Amino acid sequence: MVIDVHTHPLLFNIITESDEVLEYRKNQMGLYLSGRMDIDWDLYLMKDAKIDKTVILGQDYSADDGRILVSNDEIKKVVDYSPEHFIGFASVDPRNENAVDELNRAFDELGLTGLHLNVSRLHIFPDDPRLWPLMEICEKRNKPVIFHSGYSWKPNTPAKYARPILFEDIACAFPNLKMCLSHLGFPWWNEVIMMLMKYPNVYTDTATIYMDTSARYFDQLFTKDMNINWLQNSFADKVMFGSNSPRWRPVRALAGIKELPVREDVLEKIMGGNAMRFLGIKED
Amino acid sequence: MEAKVYQKRLTSTKEFQMIVITDEVKKVVEESGIKNGMCLVVTHHTTTGITVNEALPCVEKDMEITLERLVPKDYPYVHTHMLPTYGTCSHNSPGHMKCMLVGNHCIFPVIDGKLVIGHAQDIYFAEYDGLQQRRYMIEVMGE
Repeated sequence: MVIDVHTHPLLFNIITESDEVLEYRKNQMGLYLSGRMDIDWDLYLMKDAKIDKTVILGQDYSADDGRILVSNDEIKKVVDYSPEHFIGFASVDPRNENAVDELNRAFDELGLTGLHLNVSRLHIFPDDPRLWPLMEICEKRNKPVIFHSGYSWKPNTPAKYARPILFEDIACAFPNLKMCLSHLGFPWWNEVIMMLMKYPNVYTDTATIYMDTSARYFDQLFTKDMNINWLQNSFADKVMFGSNSPRWRPVRALAGIKELPVREDVLEKIMGGNAMRFLGIKED
Repeated sequence: MEAKVYQKRLTSTKEFQMIVITDEVKKVVEESGIKNGMCLVVTHHTTTGITVNEALPCVEKDMEITLERLVPKDYPYVHTHMLPTYGTCSHNSPGHMKCMLVGNHCIFPVIDGKLVIGHAQDIYFAEYDGLQQRRYMIEVMGE
C-alpha cells in the first residue's frame, strides 16, 4: 500500500466554492498563481500514481484573524467524498480557549484520524503549555499528531518555532504519543534523525523537497548528506512518504523515493508500511 | 477578412502523450463557413506543443524517443527550485525544453471550405508534462 501522509486539500473545489475563499487561501499559503483543484481530478491523479491513500491536513490559526484556513468540517467533507482514499487530520488553534473542545469534537463527531499543528504559523514553541492538553488527548486516544518542523514555504512562519530538537519535551512527556516531525525538519534533518532513533513513537515524512528534482534531492539527502545505511538500518521504520502537495506533484515526489538505492523492504516501509502503523491502519 | 476563434479543451492521461486532433480541426474549419484562407492551431501552454506528423505508432514512438534523448529527465536543469510566484516547486523543465524544440502551433491552408492537409499528415496536441487538463485554440481566417 502507498500512502501520502502530507497533503494540503485547501484548493479542492468542494471546499473552495467562492473566489474570495480561494484568494484568501492562496495568499495564506503563498500559492499565489495556483488555481482551484477539481477533487475528481485529484483522485484520478492518485490512481494514476498508484497512491492508495492520502492524508489531508486541516489548518487553524484563527486566533489571528478569527478565520480558519481549512476547518475540521471541511476536512470531514473531503473525507466523506471518498473515504477509502482520504484520511482527515484535524487542526485547532491552541491559542483559542475552545481548542480542547474543538479537538474532541473533531474526533468524536467528525471521526477525524489525527491532529495537525504548524507551530511556526502559530508562533508558539513546542514546549508551550497550551499544547499540553491537546497532547494529552491525542496520547490518551491514540491519535497521531503531525507537526510541521523546520523550514516552511508558507508566509509568516518563522522556523525558530519548529526546530526539531524543541519537540523533545513532548516526546519525553508523552512517550506513547505517535508524532511526525514533518519535512525531515529541513534543514535540521540531523536533529530529526536523533529523535527518530531515540523515541519509538517519533516519525518523519519526506515532504522536504525544496530544490532540485526529487531524485537528485533525495539522492543528495540520503546518500551524500547522510549514509544510506543510516536510513536502511537505523530508522527505516520511521520515514513516511509525504509529497507536500500542491507544492509538489505526488507522482513526481514518489518517483524520487523509488529511485533510492535501498532494499525492497525498506522502500515498502517508506511508501506505506510505516504510515499504516503511524495511522493505526494496522497494529504494531 | 473574417476570423473565427474556437477554444478547445482536452485532458492528457500520460506524462508524454501525442493526441491526434486532426478531425477536430477539420470539423471546425467546415463549421466556420470560411471558404478560403488559413487555419491556425496554437496551444495555450508552455509544456505542450502542436506538431504535424504521420500518425503511425512507430513514428510516434520515435518522436518520443528522440525527444527523451535530446531532453533527458535527469539533468541539472536550472528550472528546479521553489517558485515564489507559484509557491510550488518547478520540476517540469523537460516539458519546457520539448515545447521549445517542437513549437507551439501549426498553420494549414483552407480552400473551398476544407482544411488542405496531406494524406500522411496529422495534427497533434503534444503533452510533455502530463497528466493535465489543457486548452488549445483554433483560429480560421479568410473569407
